[in-house]
Amino acid sequence: MTLIEYFLLVFLFGAALSALFSRENLTSIISLSIFSTISAVLYLLYRAPDVALAQIVIGAGLYTAIFISAISQIRTDRQKNRPEDPLQ
Amino acid sequence: MKIFLLLVLFSGIGFLLIDNLRFLSNSGFSLGAATHYYVTQGFEQTGALNLVSSILYDFRAFDSLGESTVIFAAVSGIVSLLSRKTLPVSSHGLSIIVKRIFGILTPFLFVSGIYLILHGHLSPGGGFQGGVILGTISIVFCIVYGSSFDYTRYSPQSKTILEVSGALLFLAMGIIGIFLEGFFLANWFSSPERLGKLLTPGSIFGINLGVGIKIGAGLSIIFYSIIQKRIEGK
Amino acid sequence: MNQLFFLSLFLLGFIGMLLNRNLIKLIIGFEIMEASVLLWFISFTNQGGNPPIYLLDKPGMVLNDPLPQALALTAIVIAASNIALFLTLVIELSRYHKASDVDKIKGLRD
Repeated sequence: MTLIEYFLLVFLFGAALSALFSRENLTSIISLSIFSTISAVLYLLYRAPDVALAQIVIGAGLYTAIFISAISQIRTDRQKNRPEDPLQ
Repeated sequence: MKIFLLLVLFSGIGFLLIDNLRFLSNSGFSLGAATHYYVTQGFEQTGALNLVSSILYDFRAFDSLGESTVIFAAVSGIVSLLSRKTLPVSSHGLSIIVKRIFGILTPFLFVSGIYLILHGHLSPGGGFQGGVILGTISIVFCIVYGSSFDYTRYSPQSKTILEVSGALLFLAMGIIGIFLEGFFLANWFSSPERLGKLLTPGSIFGINLGVGIKIGAGLSIIFYSIIQKRIEGK
Repeated sequence: MNQLFFLSLFLLGFIGMLLNRNLIKLIIGFEIMEASVLLWFISFTNQGGNPPIYLLDKPGMVLNDPLPQALALTAIVIAASNIALFLTLVIELSRYHKASDVDKIKGLRD
């Protein structure tokens, strides 16, 4: 346990809080990407370079793309009342 | 009130967990019996210097086969849930500066993915990580060049063929093991003088390649089936 | 100390899954629980050795335990495909109910 590990753990907790309890969907997705990056650095500190590579590629690259394309597809009630919507 | 009750409940659960898992404290250096065998004998028996990939693709290769099956099932479920008459969402991508710079940058990304796949038995990396990098390239294509770029050049059928051929390469390595060594997914590494070279005989190299192709194509199929949007009234 | 921290992170993810009504936040809570379990697992098997890669010119090196790292690698890739499947189900659900909120989806209640 070094000093930088405590530092990263506190930031990990803050990113998790922001990902779970923020109001906007986009903010929580960006916070999840920050969470994945910090956990990849922690894996590197724990001497697991394979897991760090997988975590940083999947967590920061793939999750962000999939989540953002999913929230652009989700239709909510507010979209139905919009006058310029061609589907209605 | 509800949150207070939840906090009391969770502190109780946390106390029980930390009380029961206290034997997991890391005091002193000790390895289990199976791990001792892997660490001392693994590189001589499999020809892989990276012990994680020697466990993933030789000692516990059945686990990797099951994992590939799980990913195949997830891809087929996603495609069958989202399959209807779809057209890609039309967007024109970013500006010309970003397009040219990404055009210069693409071969380097591709080389790094291929390097991680091919050197999976020598350095950190392997089929999973390199495959995800190869899948991410097509995602960045969609962001930079617009969503119809990748869709019109590489049809979804070719990605399906790539994924199936990766899985078949994995199975072929297992069946070659039957003929040479006598059981499924056996490693036929038998020449210790080529330890540490790139082209070693044995199944780890081929399984890395197959897993990389399969994961990259599968993740690309997942992303492109999520991003397509229904065009109604046509 | 380290284990207590990852335990509290796991419970934070669980509380987030219980208290949130948005389906996207539920999936994020699942991801945080999974990542905290894997971090816990890797952190208490780290015994201060070198990364588990054998070097030919230094034969007597003390290496870490490679088995939990292989298991964590498998779990991360499976969780990615799981989350993609979750998101697909949420998209399909919102197409019929016009909402991504658990309280507004009527078919789940009656």
